Amino acid sequence: MCIVQVCAAASSAMSKKPAAQPTLHKVIMVGSGGVGKSALTLQFMYDEFVEDYEPTKADSYRKKVVLDGEEVQIDILDTAGQEDYAAIRDNYFRSGEGFLCVFSITEPESFDATQEFREQILRVKNDENIPFLLVGNKSDLGDKRRVPLDACRERAHAWQVPYVETSAKTRDNVDKVFFDLMREIRSRKSDDSRAANGNVRDKVKRRKIKCAIL
Amino acid sequence: MGPPPVVTGISPKEGPPGTRVTIRGEFLGISVTDLIGLKICGCDCLLSAEWKSKNKIVARSGPCKGRGDIIVTTKSGGEGTSTVQFRGYHESVGPMKESAVWVEEAAPPSLPWGRRPMSPTAYTPPDPLGLSTEGDDYKFPEEELHELFPDGSGKLSDENFQPGWYLLEHHSNTSYEDLKAGMVFLQRKVEGQKEGQLSFLKANTGAVMDQLDRLVLLKNMYEEDQRKNGREPLPSLQSAIEESISLADSLFSEILSRKENADKTREALSLLTRHKFLFQLPSSIDKNIKKKEYDLVVNDYTRAKNLFGNTDVKLFQKILAEIDKKIEDLKENLFNRMKTMPINVQEQTKYIRLLISLNWDGDAAWTAILSRKDYLMNLMNKVKEHFKKKEEQESNEKGRRKCREWECEGSWSATRADWCGAACGALASELHALWPLARRYFAGELAGQPTLPQRHTDLKEMIIAMVESFSEQMRSCLICTGAGGGAGPGAGGAAGVAADVLRTRLVANLRHLRDAYDSLLKLDLPSQPLSIVEKVIFDYRVHGMTVFLQRAHKRVKGLSEKETWKIEEFSDYGAITNLPHLLESYVNDALSAIHKCVLKSGRRKSPLLGAGGEPLAVLQRHTQHTLLAFVSVLRDLTMHHEDQDFNNTSLSVALDQRLEESAVEAVTAGRSWQQRLLVAGANAQYTRRRTLANILTAFENQKAEKRYRKIRIHSSSLEDNIAEMYLEYKGDPLVGTIEPSMYMGRHHTDADTLLDDARPYVYEIINNLIAVHAEVDSVCGAASSRYVRDICETVCEELARLAACAPARSRAAAFQARLEYSLLRLAVADHLTRKAENYLMEALAGLPPLDNEEDKNRMDNIIQGFKKRMELQLTSLNCNMETV
Repeated sequence: MCIVQVCAAASSAMSKKPAAQPTLHKVIMVGSGGVGKSALTLQFMYDEFVEDYEPTKADSYRKKVVLDGEEVQIDILDTAGQEDYAAIRDNYFRSGEGFLCVFSITEPESFDATQEFREQILRVKNDENIPFLLVGNKSDLGDKRRVPLDACRERAHAWQVPYVETSAKTRDNVDKVFFDLMREIRSRKSDDSRAANGNVRDKVKRRKIKCAIL
Repeated sequence: MGPPPVVTGISPKEGPPGTRVTIRGEFLGISVTDLIGLKICGCDCLLSAEWKSKNKIVARSGPCKGRGDIIVTTKSGGEGTSTVQFRGYHESVGPMKESAVWVEEAAPPSLPWGRRPMSPTAYTPPDPLGLSTEGDDYKFPEEELHELFPDGSGKLSDENFQPGWYLLEHHSNTSYEDLKAGMVFLQRKVEGQKEGQLSFLKANTGAVMDQLDRLVLLKNMYEEDQRKNGREPLPSLQSAIEESISLADSLFSEILSRKENADKTREALSLLTRHKFLFQLPSSIDKNIKKKEYDLVVNDYTRAKNLFGNTDVKLFQKILAEIDKKIEDLKENLFNRMKTMPINVQEQTKYIRLLISLNWDGDAAWTAILSRKDYLMNLMNKVKEHFKKKEEQESNEKGRRKCREWECEGSWSATRADWCGAACGALASELHALWPLARRYFAGELAGQPTLPQRHTDLKEMIIAMVESFSEQMRSCLICTGAGGGAGPGAGGAAGVAADVLRTRLVANLRHLRDAYDSLLKLDLPSQPLSIVEKVIFDYRVHGMTVFLQRAHKRVKGLSEKETWKIEEFSDYGAITNLPHLLESYVNDALSAIHKCVLKSGRRKSPLLGAGGEPLAVLQRHTQHTLLAFVSVLRDLTMHHEDQDFNNTSLSVALDQRLEESAVEAVTAGRSWQQRLLVAGANAQYTRRRTLANILTAFENQKAEKRYRKIRIHSSSLEDNIAEMYLEYKGDPLVGTIEPSMYMGRHHTDADTLLDDARPYVYEIINNLIAVHAEVDSVCGAASSRYVRDICETVCEELARLAACAPARSRAAAFQARLEYSLLRLAVADHLTRKAENYLMEALAGLPPLDNEEDKNRMDNIIQGFKKRMELQLTSLNCNMETV
């Protein structure tokens, strides 16, 4: 017992070393209220489907996952969909590395709202190629579908982002959206670091762009 | 130990104190009670925590500020970790915010000439841009500000003030136009400050003019004053003050002198009183002693000693000597009073205290303790003497005639009970007085001088001696054994007194003892004396138990006189009389009496019948005695008619002539002896099987365990004895008749002719067996087979013997013998044991076999004829039989 504890302590001490800390990918859930951002998050995090609706303010989740054989940490910021909180979104968006823009296929208004979110994200991040997934949730309610699939695909194509339909209830594609996004973030990060190491001018240029718009 | 809790989710991730937070994660406890700690940003939130599942807890955040981990602690997993953080912030309340408290709307108005000194650092204008500040809902995250301006600060007064920070913090959502307006506002303000004094004067011309007017007015008044009073106003003031002082002195001098006089007089008076007190002290001491106001005496005496103890005045010394003498007398007096018993503790304590305060030389308290002890010893002896005398007196009064009876009553008399009560009372009350006294003495409350260490042991010995003498007395009073032979006076006394009297006495005495013991317990005495008393009580309880058991023993012994031979019922084991029932009821009586009186143990007393304890052994022994006594009673009952002639009624034709007188005898005796034998046997069996089991259950009900093996053995051996005896008396004559009657027939037969029938002796045997069977069956019922079987066996044995002695020579004789044996075998077939069968086979084997058909047919015919003729007899012999 004692030895086990000592070992555990030792191993935990080891894992606390910064070298052992896996890469962190910061994912932000955006979308109108009630489209199922929290449901997707909770389904992904804890395999549970939350029936009752309780508007989110801003929730934070973080756990370790294995992404293509590599251990990484995913940090999910579940934001508020309600307009009441629109003002604080900017601050949140700033820290995000990838975005899941969620709408409900049963609710055209939420689909319309994705346009706004996209714009806001681009404005805040100032990056056309920010990792971004358009997610049509509630695919289990196919009979109540009011957003045609074509429209969704069209928009995704226009934005040059992937489109995935999910169901937080049936867990359909839930893991897929998070892992796809993380892959995007990862490849984006490796591009960035390559750019940082290799091409100094590129880096400067990027900075310049940032400054100009500010 | 399970895995430590990990918090991986928080909803929401920030909020003011009291925010309802949903915490998600893994291993957050396996039950509500498993969750033993919850800290959000270092604030303990366990009180508000609601454990939902091992993945979810709902709580409210505490008064924390800034970012911090959520640490869950569980019994099963210990202290956990957190991958997410919660940020607590305090909402500042502004004018636009709904709030329950009144808030001052702005900082105090900034008056340019305000009297309040204000440090520039303490005060910052609420809104230098003149724009309304934004609400807290749209706060720019603080940590980002830190990131953006690593060395900056958002405070206007700070050296490292960063305007960008300030703007982001307060106006991150303000439109550009508004900001421009703010800029203009700020510029205006700065300009205003730059303009300086002239503009200030311009703005406040009226006030400045007013102030000038006042100054002129002040100057005029001052000049006028100088003109009026000259340049030096002080000397006149000084003379006025001096004058007033002398006036005041003259006013008070009279009063002061009067006060002085009064003081002097008072002093003289007090001196007088003091002297008067001294001179009157002797008489007042006498008076107070007479009134028993010893406290007053002591007070006066100490006061006199203090006042005049060191005086040189002869007169005073003389008086003091007188007083000292009186006090010495008083001390003697008090000491004697303290020693004189009886006296209650309060008074004694009072005397001891007085003696101590009067500087008594000896150890007053110790003397008191000793005298109390002596008194108690005396008291005990006195009680003993008194009751002894009383007993003697009573026995004398009753005279010699009743002397023996008196002896009998012995330890159960009312006098003894009174004695016990009185002694218990005396012990309890005296120890009640002595023990607190001793305790206070050792606590130093009563010690005039330091307590000697060996006093403790002395006291202990004293108490033990007292308790021991008490226990000795009680023993001699209540538990007197061994004074007589055999059963002892206890048992004798028990028999002499009625059971209920016995019980009440026992209970009363026990109650006395227990009361005393309880009161000693309350005193908190050391365990040693307590255990002595406990032992007495215990012994007495054992004694009581013994008495009850002896009583039962005695009653059982007397059972033989109660046997009426009246059959009470037919049990499975045969007809029984009421003896077993009486035994059972006696034993149960004793048990219930024991249970009621002595078994219930009091406070701190060991259970009477603890495993392996002596009382248990006593109980077992006595019970065994009782049961053995019963066995011997049964034996005596059966055996003691041995001298009586055995009743051979209807046993044999040869003894036919005795039938008449035996019948008469049987009627007068109520029941024939062999019937009694059988009944006794049945009784024994019933006792063994049924009554003992009942008694055993009774014992188990009383929580006493018992072993009965020995009793069972005795009982069953008795059974066997009885059976054997019966068989002996029944079987012997029966067997005895076989040979004579066999030979009796042989004289009349021709040795060579084949007979058509068996000789009469065969019928005789059968008849006799029928008689035995009938008798046994009438008494023993189903159990009868055993007796009949045994008799059959002896009969067969005898036949075998006879056959061996007289082998059949001729064909006719052999035929006859074979016929006879076959018939007999047929008749008693159901009662044959293997041994009996062997005997018969042996007898048959000795005969030559039948060699011709004629003989065989003949034999068969005869047997068929026999069966037909004897059908009734055979049926009667074989009825009520259990097959072997």
